[in-house]
Amino acid sequence: MIKLESVSKRYGSRTIIHDISFSVAKGEIVGFLGPNGAGKTTTMRMIAGSTTPTSGRITVAGFDMGTQNQQAAKRLGYLPENPPLYDVLDVSTYLRFVAKVKGVTGAAMRAELERVISACRLEAVVAREIYKLSKGYRQRVGLAQALLGKPDVLLLDEPTAGLDPGQIQETREVIRAFGEHGAVLLSTHILPEVTLICQRVAIINGGRLLAIDSPAGLQQASQQTNNVLIEVSAEAEPLRQELLAVEGVSDVKVVSIGDGFVRAECQVDAQAGVEARIARVIATRWSLHRLERQQSTLENVFLRYVNQSAQQQKEAA
Amino acid sequence: MNGVLAIYRKEMIQYFRSPIAYFVMSVFLVGTGYFFLYNIFSTGVGTMDETFRNMGVLLVTLIPLVTMRLFSGEYTGRTMELLMTLPLKPWEIVVGKYLGAATILLLMTSATGINLVPLYLFGNPETKTILSGYMGFLLMGMACLAIGQFFSALTHNQIVAALITTPILLAFWFIGHLQAYQSSPELRGLFGYLSFSLHFGDFIRGLLRTEAVAFYFAVVGIALTLNTSYLQWRR
Repeated sequence: MIKLESVSKRYGSRTIIHDISFSVAKGEIVGFLGPNGAGKTTTMRMIAGSTTPTSGRITVAGFDMGTQNQQAAKRLGYLPENPPLYDVLDVSTYLRFVAKVKGVTGAAMRAELERVISACRLEAVVAREIYKLSKGYRQRVGLAQALLGKPDVLLLDEPTAGLDPGQIQETREVIRAFGEHGAVLLSTHILPEVTLICQRVAIINGGRLLAIDSPAGLQQASQQTNNVLIEVSAEAEPLRQELLAVEGVSDVKVVSIGDGFVRAECQVDAQAGVEARIARVIATRWSLHRLERQQSTLENVFLRYVNQSAQQQKEAA
Repeated sequence: MNGVLAIYRKEMIQYFRSPIAYFVMSVFLVGTGYFFLYNIFSTGVGTMDETFRNMGVLLVTLIPLVTMRLFSGEYTGRTMELLMTLPLKPWEIVVGKYLGAATILLLMTSATGINLVPLYLFGNPETKTILSGYMGFLLMGMACLAIGQFFSALTHNQIVAALITTPILLAFWFIGHLQAYQSSPELRGLFGYLSFSLHFGDFIRGLLRTEAVAFYFAVVGIALTLNTSYLQWRR
C-alpha cells in the first residue's frame, strides 16, 4: 500500500533523508521510531505529498506520488504533527469541508460524518468552534479528518501526543480497527505503543533507516549480547577480575551500592549456561544475593540502534 | 471544480466568522459615503466621477487587509499541509481563494450603490457612465486582489504580506504621475500603460477600451499564474 524505493531528500547541500526503502502492506500497522529530528516527519510529508523527494520513488495505493498524486491523495488520510485545523470553523463545518474535497457527496456525506465523529468520540463538540477545543479534542478532530473518505492508507504523525491515558486507549483502538483492512504508518515517541499495536517497527536516525522488523524480531536480534545483573557482597576489583575470567563474559561494570554490596553488570553472549558459570565462580568466594538475566526491552533495542548509528556517523566524519 | 467550490465555501465562512471582512466593508462604506457627500456638496455636480477616484484610493489601501490572510494564514495555522495533501490541485486552491476575495469585493462595491439613490432622486446622472465606472472599479479591484493574494503566498507573516502589498498597489496607482517627469516617449508610454488610475480614468469617463479591460485581466492572469507556480515549486 505504501512503498518507498531509495528515497532521498536534500535541502541545498544538506541531505535530510538518505536512501530509505521500505513498504507497508494492506492490513499492517508499522511504527516509525526515531529521536527528534531523525527525519520521521519529513518522510511522512513526502509520502503524503506535501513535499517531494529529491530522488527515489514513492507509491501510495499503487499510485506514483510524483505523477499521480491526485489519485493517491484520494486514498490517503494524513494527520500531521500539528493537526491542521481552521480555528474559526466549527467541528462539523471543518469536517464537511475536508469530506467534500475528498469527494464525499451529498447523500453519503451525513453517514460519513457520523462515522468519523463517533469513531473519534466528537459528539459533544460537533457544533463548537475549533479554537475553543482542548488539545485532546483538537488531536481527535485531526484524526477524524484523516479518516474521512474511507482511505486505504493512514499516515499518523504522533497521533497520541497530548492525549490523556483514556483518550490514548481509545485512539489506539481506532487505529487498530483501521489497521485490520488498511495500511497504517504511525510515528511515535512512546515505545510501548509500538509493541502494543504495530506489527512491524522501522527505526530511523539521522535520515537513515537503521532497522525494520517485528518488535519481537528486533528484541531477538539484540539479545546476542545480553546483560546479566548480579548483586554480591564483595570487593569491586577482585570481583571484576574473577568475572572477566568466566567464559562467555565480555565486559563487566561494577558499582558499589553500599553496605559492602556491589552491583555488577556483565555483558555476556547469547549461549546458555553463562549464568550458571557466573554463579559457581561467585559462590566459591562470596555470597550471591541476586542474579538476573535482563531481557532487552524495545527501549534498549531502540537506543542501541540509535547510538550505533550516531557512532558510525562520528567515525565517518 | 469540486475543489474550487469547497475552497470557496470555506473561504466565505472564514471571512464572515472573523472581524476583518466587517471592518474592511464598514471603513470602505463610511469612506465612500463621506467622499460622495463631500463631492456633491462642494461641486454641486451630480456625478460619480470624483467619488470613483476616491473609491479607487480607498480600495488600494484596503485590499491588502483582505488578501493578507489568504495564504499567510494557512501557513501559520499549519493548514497548508492539509490543502497540499488533499486531492486538490494548486490551481484549484488559488482560484477558490481568489473567487472568495472577489466576492467580498463585489459585496462592498454593490453596497456603495446606496449613494445612487439620492443621485437619481435629485439629479440626472448618466447611467452608462456610472455603469462603466463601476465596471472599471471592479476590474481594478480584481487586479489588486490577485496581486495581494500572490504576495500573501510568499510569507508566513500576515502583516508582512500587507506591508509588501500596500506600496506595490500604491505604485501601480501613482505610476502614471511619473509621466510628467519623463522626456522619452517610451518610458511615458510604459508608465501610462502600467497605471491603474489612468486605465480606471477611462472607465470613469465612460470610455470602455478593450486595451484597459485586457490590461486588468492580464494582471489577474499573471498574478494567479505566478501564485500557482509558486505553490507547485514550494513542494
